[in-house]
Amino acid sequence: MTAGPAFAPSATIEVTDVSKWFGQKVAVSDLSCSFGPGLTGLLGPNGAGKTTLLRMVCGLLRPSDGSITVLGAEPRRDPSVYRRLALVPEEDAVYGILTARQFVAFSADLTGVPRHRVAEAIEVVDLSSAADRPISGFSKGMRQRAKVAAALVTDPEVLILDEPLNGTDPVQRAHLIGVFRRLAGEGKTVIVSSHVLREVERMADRVLAVVDGRLAAAGDVAAIRRAMADIPYRVRIDVGSTRRIASTLLNEDVVGSVRVVGGRLHVETTDLATLGTIVPRIAREADARLTSFEPEDESLESVFRYLVHRR
Amino acid sequence: MKAFLAITRVTLRQLLGGKRLLAFGLLALVPAVVMFLASRDLTETAVVERFHEAPVAIVFLIVLPVVALILGASALGDERRDGTLSFLILRPLPRSSIAAAKLFAAWAGTTAIVGMSAALAAAVVGIRIGDWSYIAPAAFAAAVSALAYNAVFLLLGYFTSRAVLLGLVYVFIWENGVTFAAASLANVSLFRIGLSAYAGLVPESLVQLDEVLGSVAPGAGGAVAKVLVVAVLAVLAAGSLLRRRDLL
Repeated sequence: MTAGPAFAPSATIEVTDVSKWFGQKVAVSDLSCSFGPGLTGLLGPNGAGKTTLLRMVCGLLRPSDGSITVLGAEPRRDPSVYRRLALVPEEDAVYGILTARQFVAFSADLTGVPRHRVAEAIEVVDLSSAADRPISGFSKGMRQRAKVAAALVTDPEVLILDEPLNGTDPVQRAHLIGVFRRLAGEGKTVIVSSHVLREVERMADRVLAVVDGRLAAAGDVAAIRRAMADIPYRVRIDVGSTRRIASTLLNEDVVGSVRVVGGRLHVETTDLATLGTIVPRIAREADARLTSFEPEDESLESVFRYLVHRR
Repeated sequence: MKAFLAITRVTLRQLLGGKRLLAFGLLALVPAVVMFLASRDLTETAVVERFHEAPVAIVFLIVLPVVALILGASALGDERRDGTLSFLILRPLPRSSIAAAKLFAAWAGTTAIVGMSAALAAAVVGIRIGDWSYIAPAAFAAAVSALAYNAVFLLLGYFTSRAVLLGLVYVFIWENGVTFAAASLANVSLFRIGLSAYAGLVPESLVQLDEVLGSVAPGAGGAVAKVLVVAVLAVLAAGSLLRRRDLL
């Protein structure tokens, strides 16, 4: 086992120097990490390489370089590991002709687990009332839950969920997060990928952030937050007396730079919250009308890119 | 076995769902209708000869390849296109058993439709002259060739999303064109395997079928052996592809 925040103490999945490229495009670059019991969030913007990494872990893609073991075996060489490993893929990989109950039973039959677990798995994801309806008529959120039930019915030791909360409403999301946390609490290895920081914060104790196919940050949620603490934010402000406000703002410690473009202020700051209290006060003192205060560059992509460049 | 049957059951529902079964059902009736219309006021010998001409040709040159092509190519191809293949792959099953279950489902579906088509056309012979002995050999021969077509098109469907187009080129240009023009190429023709089985079981059919069979020797045993070899090779190749190729 390798030490460091990217490596779990009792690893069930070990990723060693793994790269994956498709022609000229590098999807994952020399990535090493491990996953163990508990819930690990795999965080990164769309296109960061999360899905490629998870599909390599499951054995659907062969690493171009490096190696991956799951529960001590290489899934591509040893399919028996799939008795203990389940994937909930991001795409709509469901059989629309089947009802949710038939779909989950199909999963049970394929893995060789008893049928009596089917109703239980459907109940866990709160899909019992729709279990006998064809999946083709399901909403995105219901399909997600059907996929989760099809994974849970096999009672896997390692559960990999690729963006499982996409399309779910807030109630469904809270319910699924509760399910994932409970499974992690039972000692299962649960990996949840997401491009939404808040989602991952709500469920994961440990987070790996991936950007451009590389590991950008790893550790507990607080460590990721700390790593992001000094990120500069850009804010667009619509306010009267533009030039006067701009010169006042430049005297503030939290303000890095101010530009006036098209009658608007574009301010760079390391402390968004403080700037949010300063600007209304300055506008009030200058008797200027403040009409908008919008973070310009709050996307997760920019946060991640910042983390990558900072390394 | 449970997994094999589960894959077969779901695949059959996928392959024969919607309007496909209705379309195939109508196509399957064509040989019987043609036979019914073409066998009026004929002598007993002429009825049998007529059966070995038009209806048999329609079954083996049109109904069988078209149905087998679509069902064979869809068996794995649709799973790949719909993204559900990972649902099957991530299971503690040998990949070749997944391929075998897919082939079995495609073959069962094709045989049900084409076997019925051949049997109905042969049943018209029974209606006309009271001889029902052609039904079983006709259905059997259709099942034999169906396995060969399904095996080849299963692989093709996994490789390319244009499997149906390529399959139609193979069927209508190669099999229905080139192999008739060059009799020495008759061995590279899947429908002739089934016809050779039929000719082996119904020797009097050779009067009409000998020219079509070309260099292919009649015989049910040889035909079954050939298609089993094709099927096993296809399953092993598909299993190997499922194991080796990336699933994007």
